[in-house]
Formats: sequence, structure tokens, C-alpha cells
Amino acid sequence: MSTVTPAADALAPPVRGPVWGSAGTMVRYGLRSHRWALAGVAFLGFVSPYSAAASYVAATGTAALRASFGRQTTALGPQLAYLVPLPIRPDTVAGYMWWKGLTWLALVFAVWGLAAATGLVRNEEERGLVETWITQPLSRVRLLLSRAAAFTVAALAAVLVTGLGTAAGLAAGKASVGFPALAGQGAALLGVTLACFGIGLAAAQLTSTRRAALALGGVVMLVLYVLDALARVNPGLDGVAAVSPFHLADVTTAIVPGGHFEGGATAALFVIAAVLIALAALAFPRRDLGAALVERRSAETAVVRTPSTNPLLRFPVLSSIWEQRIGTAGWVVGSILAAGFVVSIARSTGKLLASVSGFQSFVHAAGTDSAATAVVSSVWLSISALIVAAFAIAQTSRWAGDDAEGRLEMEIAQPVPRWRVVAERGLTLAVVGLLMTALGSLVTAAVAPGQGVHLDAGSLVVATLLLALLALTVGALGALVIARFPRVAVPVLGVVAVESLYVPLLAPLFKWPGWVIDLSLFHLYGTPLTTGVYWTGLWLMVAIVVVGFGGAMAAMRVREVGS
Amino acid sequence: MAVAIRTEGLTKDYGEARGLFDLDLEVEAGEVFGYLGPNGSGKTTTIRLLMDMIHPTRGRAEIFGVDCHAEPVAVKRMVGYLPGEMPQWGGLRGRDVVAYVAGLRGGVDPARVSSLTERLDLDLGRRYREYSSGNKRKLGLVLALMHPSRLLLLDEPTNGLDPLIQQEFYRLVEETSAEGATVFLSSHVLSEMERACRRVGILRRGRLVQVARLDELHHLRYHRLEADFAGAVPADAVAAVPGVEDVAVEDHHLSCTVHGAFGPLLQVLGRAQVLNLVTHEPTLEEVFLTYFRDPAEPAQAPVPTGGAR
Repeated sequence: MSTVTPAADALAPPVRGPVWGSAGTMVRYGLRSHRWALAGVAFLGFVSPYSAAASYVAATGTAALRASFGRQTTALGPQLAYLVPLPIRPDTVAGYMWWKGLTWLALVFAVWGLAAATGLVRNEEERGLVETWITQPLSRVRLLLSRAAAFTVAALAAVLVTGLGTAAGLAAGKASVGFPALAGQGAALLGVTLACFGIGLAAAQLTSTRRAALALGGVVMLVLYVLDALARVNPGLDGVAAVSPFHLADVTTAIVPGGHFEGGATAALFVIAAVLIALAALAFPRRDLGAALVERRSAETAVVRTPSTNPLLRFPVLSSIWEQRIGTAGWVVGSILAAGFVVSIARSTGKLLASVSGFQSFVHAAGTDSAATAVVSSVWLSISALIVAAFAIAQTSRWAGDDAEGRLEMEIAQPVPRWRVVAERGLTLAVVGLLMTALGSLVTAAVAPGQGVHLDAGSLVVATLLLALLALTVGALGALVIARFPRVAVPVLGVVAVESLYVPLLAPLFKWPGWVIDLSLFHLYGTPLTTGVYWTGLWLMVAIVVVGFGGAMAAMRVREVGS
Repeated sequence: MAVAIRTEGLTKDYGEARGLFDLDLEVEAGEVFGYLGPNGSGKTTTIRLLMDMIHPTRGRAEIFGVDCHAEPVAVKRMVGYLPGEMPQWGGLRGRDVVAYVAGLRGGVDPARVSSLTERLDLDLGRRYREYSSGNKRKLGLVLALMHPSRLLLLDEPTNGLDPLIQQEFYRLVEETSAEGATVFLSSHVLSEMERACRRVGILRRGRLVQVARLDELHHLRYHRLEADFAGAVPADAVAAVPGVEDVAVEDHHLSCTVHGAFGPLLQVLGRAQVLNLVTHEPTLEEVFLTYFRDPAEPAQAPVPTGGAR
């Protein structure tokens, strides 16, 4: 018996594809993976400047009103300087739109950049996708650069849509700015987005999980953001703040009358992005897949053969809370800090509101004669409502993950009825939501007297309970969507949240009927601290909770899992 | 003998001829039943129907007389389940996963968990994401075996396990069976069935084509015969013998496949001058490939282990 082996030179040479063929495929794949986030961010990018302009137009009919509005906003600016830059020429539609509609978008775009970068590195490594990509004739450097190119294209698209929203807002306010100014403003927004994308990419090389990468990148971004905020109130820190992408973006005020495009700062943003992306591209081939660039050798530990004795893991709801304890702690601490900050400036903000005639209606709408109380009732509780809604959306994302990653199958393979899974999810959301809002309210109650705000304890309890109900309402919608379309649940809730945010703002401008305003979940919550319970809203929320979780339980019973 | 699994006309039609069709199957209590078929033949679909993860298009399934779709919780009280793909538990440690699932189920003896992890050589102190695919499979086996069950439904249980751990797994299956439990395990590897099962069911393209004891399956075996002759090769006479197929002649060499008894063929060969005679018994793997290959696939002639000339 003989074996026939072809001569080495008879073997076909390896096929060499187009130089950028595989990288081009990765760019297209990257664009596809960003499409949902791009849609959401672009939507915000359009609506935010346009609605700011529409608000301005509605509030300022005459030159005198514009001047007054500008003075009031300028006076209010320092109170919010820790959050957004000081207003510039808010007596003009372009100035107000820049301050109200665009500055906070930088943070939204930056968070998108961070999440996208950590996701495309760590999430795809955890799912084994990167291993598949690099088994193709595609170098790691080219893989990472092609994905960075894809995000750049996506970010550019979102910035262009924001530019369209800005142009539409200017048109609504019968103002105009030149294309160079719009382009300059867009370049600053794109620069800060890419810089934060670079931070995410670099953080993802230094950590071994997406959560850790998000935490590291988030902390870095937070420090840079706070540095920028401190520099706003203390000009002596300007030099130090120059390392912050947020500061470098803030200094461009190209669309504001008399503003300017800071070419050097914008160029610095792109340089920061390029350097960070290059560093990540250098680090990627030098580390193991699934590992950080610098790995600590794990200490020898005794082999464990027995299950955990942690009693929390043996009880429904408690086991779920324990499993997500780090994230839960983050939400709770965030709520407490936000409550402490907003309520601690209630008196000064209230004084300012009281001194400005244009804001009297705001105070009266809050159902109180005390401007400081109005700040707590309307501003803080609105922020709190946003936080609990965001928490409920995060929980919904987790539920969708349970399904996609096989944990739901493992749960219902045990002798537990399927409806219990939905009930446990709802109860977990209710317990953590209540914990967050209760601790936030305790801080509010503790800080408010120092600000001269005297809150009725009963009303505060009701407001707190209604916040937990709001979390359940958002969660119920999520549970219902997940029962049928788990993959689109988070985008759908994102749209509901944005709609809930903007409908109450836009409804008065466009004179929409009351039932349209009731489509906003935040409107259903109302201002219970000062105006009492909005009963229609309360019953609508209860109905959504009952129908949402009830429907989800019924659907869970009949649906197929993991098919 | 009580019936552990009974299906009647069980069908899951995904369209385009994908799924499981008209499955009539009975698995007796206490037996180790192998469920064999190539990828995509419907093994996992069957198990997921039994576990009520998915719902039948028509037909019904029972486990120990309890309808799988109508009373899934009662069914799951009796079943230990290993899914085909392990869920992603992320940063949870193995010991936390075990405690969590044990909390859902109840009635889990920590000593039993210790014994299983010892035998499968699994460290529960590590995070799930740090586990290799084999260790994830071991954790799945611990979760399936850690509680008393009347029936084990194991979907490709030895995937990713090294040979030593596979042997330990088979010992666990034997012990479980000896204690009276029924074991239903799917695989596309026939040799696993030879080691563990008494009966096997063979699926092809969503349909059950045969249920047989392993010794019955051995009756399906054929032999490959090769002979060298000093003179002319009696090819026509050999080809005329009942049970002889695939006759090939090259110079003074003859090869053929023999089904059934050798007697008639030996009578023909005895009339010629045979210099050398060799027979090869194919493995069950080759039997499987020969009898149960997809009709759409190109025919694969049985190949003797010694190679062909």
C-alpha cells in the first residue's frame, strides 16, 4: 500500500484577497452593530436642539421678552455650572439652543462612544466573536482599526443629524448661521465622541470583562467631566481642565452669536482619539484574548467542591438582588448623590427663580409659593423619575439577556412555574426601585431643612412610593415587550423614555390635547410632593403594571424559550 | 415494565422540512436509552419538547404518565436536565451557580454536590467565565445530577469532556441506572452508545428510523472480504452469491461486502485457488454511516480498517 503525497510545490498557493476586503467586511459589520444605538442617539441629536429652539420661540415673543429671558437664563447658569457650561447669549435662539440643546448632548455622545468601544472589544470577546474574526486572514490591528472606522462613520452620521436638528431649530427661530459655524460645532461634538470612544477602547485593553472596562472608562470619563465642571466655576483650573475632552468641546461656541470655533481644541480632541485608538491597536496584539494587557497571576487557592452557603442565593428575589449587588449599589449610591446635590442647591436656585418674573409660572405650576420647594418638587423629583426609569430599562436589558444567554432556560428547567420568573423580576425591580427612591428621599428629607425647604413627610412618602410605581410601570412595559420580542425591548423602552421626556415639553408649544400629555410616563407621575397625587396618572400606571406583568406572565406560559 | 417516556405523533414543524415529525417512542423505566442521529436530525428538539421549552405542533409527550406540556412543573420535579448549550453565568462562581439552581429546585444534598465535583474534578471556586468548555460541561452535569431524579435528560453530555472524565461520566450513568433511574442521552457518536446504552433510537432528518437493542444493531453488521487468487478470479460466481455486494476485481485481487452468513460464499471460493483471504468487521460507526446516511449524501462504501488497494 502506498500513500500519495503531493509535492510541496504542487500545492495551490494561498488565495490572497483584496487588501482591505476583510477589513471592509468588518467595517460593514461594525456599522450594522451600531445601527440601533445610532438611531437613538441621532433621534436625540435632532430633537434636543430643535425642541430647545421651539421652547425659546414660544417663550420669547418680543425683543423685551428675549432680553428678559436672556437675563434670567444667564442668572440661572451658575447654578447649573456643575452640569453644563455657562450660557452665552441666551437672549438669542442660537445661544439658547447651544446651551440648552447641545451642551448636554456631548455627554450623551460620549457615553455612546464609551459603551460602543467596550462592547466591540469585551462583549464580542466574551461571546467568542473576536476569536472567529481573527481566525480569518485579518490582523488584530486591522480588525480594531476597521471597527474604529465603522464607529467613526456612525458617529459622523449622528453628528450630521444633530446638525440638521440645529439648522431646523435655527430656522424655527428665524435665525441663521453659516455652514462653517455648523460644521465647527459638529466637529467639536464628533471630536469628544471619538475621544471618549478612544477612552473606552483603551480601558477595554486594560481589563478583562466588559463590566470592568465600562467601570474603568466610566470613572476616567467622570473625572474628566468633573474637572471640566470645576474649571467652569474656578477659572484657575482652566489649564488642568485642558486635558478633559469635555472642556475641549465646550470651548467651541461656533453657532452662538459672537462665539468662535476653537480649532486647536477641536484638533486636540481628534489627536486624543487617534492616540488612544492607536494605543489600543498596539495593545491588542500584545495580550491574550479574553485577558487584560497586564494580567495578575491568580494566587493559588484551595479547590472548592461545595456549593455556596450564602443563604441569599436560596431565596427568590434576594438571589437576584445579590447576583447584581454591585450594579444595584451603583444605582443606589447614584440616587443618593444626585438627591444630595440637587437639594443642596435648592435655596439658591429657588431665590434665583423667585427673582425672575419669567420663572414665576414654573413655581406656581409646581403648586407652591416657595421657589425652593418647587425646585425639590419639580427638578429633583423629575431627575429621580429619570433615574428610576433608566434603572427599569437596565433591568429589562438584563431580562432580555437571561433569555438570549440561556439562563432563562436553566431556570425553567427547574420545577418552578413560568409565571414565577416574571413575578420575581417584577418584585426585584420593585424592591430595588423602592430602596433607591427611599434612600434618595431620606437624603432629601435630611438636606431640605438646611435649604429652608420644609417638606410634608406624608407627601414625601407618597412621592417616594409613586417613584417605585413608575419604575414598575416602565418594567411592566419591558416585561410585556420581552414576552414576544426580547431583542427589541430595550430600544422600545428607550423610545418610550424619550417620548415621555419630550411630550410634556412640546405639548404646550404645539397645543396638543391632554390625552397626548398622558402618554408621558413622567407626566403620569406628576408632582406629588406639592400638588398631591395625580389620580388619573396613578390609575393609568397601576393599569399598565397589571396589564404589563399580567400579560407577560400569560405570554411566558405559552411562549417558547430559546428557540 | 413502567414507561418513562412516551411520545405519540410528536411533531415540531419549523417549516422547510426542519424539526421533528411523528415521533412515536417509548423508553422503559430504568433503562439507559441512547438517542442517536447526525447534527440537525431532531435530537435536541425532542429533548426540548420533553422539557416543555418548546411546544409541539401536534402530538403529545409524557414522562412517567405526566403530560409534558400540560404539567411541566410536575415533569421537572422528576427530571435532571443537561442542555445542549450551557447558559452564560458570567462572573458568578461555580459554587454560586450551584447554590442558585439548588435554591430554585430544593432538596439538594451538599454532600452529593461534593461527591460529584470530586469525581468530575471540578473546582467550584472559579468564576464561570474562567471555566473551559469542558469545565462548563462538568458544571452542567453537576446541576443535572445533584438532585434525586427519576429521569435524566442529557443532551450530548460528553461534549468537551476529556476521556478520563468521560469514563467517570459513564460510571455515573451506570450507578444512576442501577439506582433505578432512567437515562435518556443524545449523541451523534455511536461509540458512546456502545459504552452506555442498552437500546438506541436513530433519527434522521427529524424522523425516527429505527429503535433497537445494541445487539440487534450488531446484526446489521456486514463484513468486508478481500481475497487474492493464484489464477482467474471467479467474479461472476461470487457476485451471484446471495448477500454479496460491491464486488470489485483488480488483477488477481477481489474485494466484496458480505451480508449474513459466509457459508455460500466460502463454497464458491473453495472451488478456486485462494492464496490469501482477509475479512474486516466494520465498527458500529461504519454501520451507522452505511445504513442511516442521508439519502441526499453521496454513498459511502464501507471501507475496511486496513485500507483499500
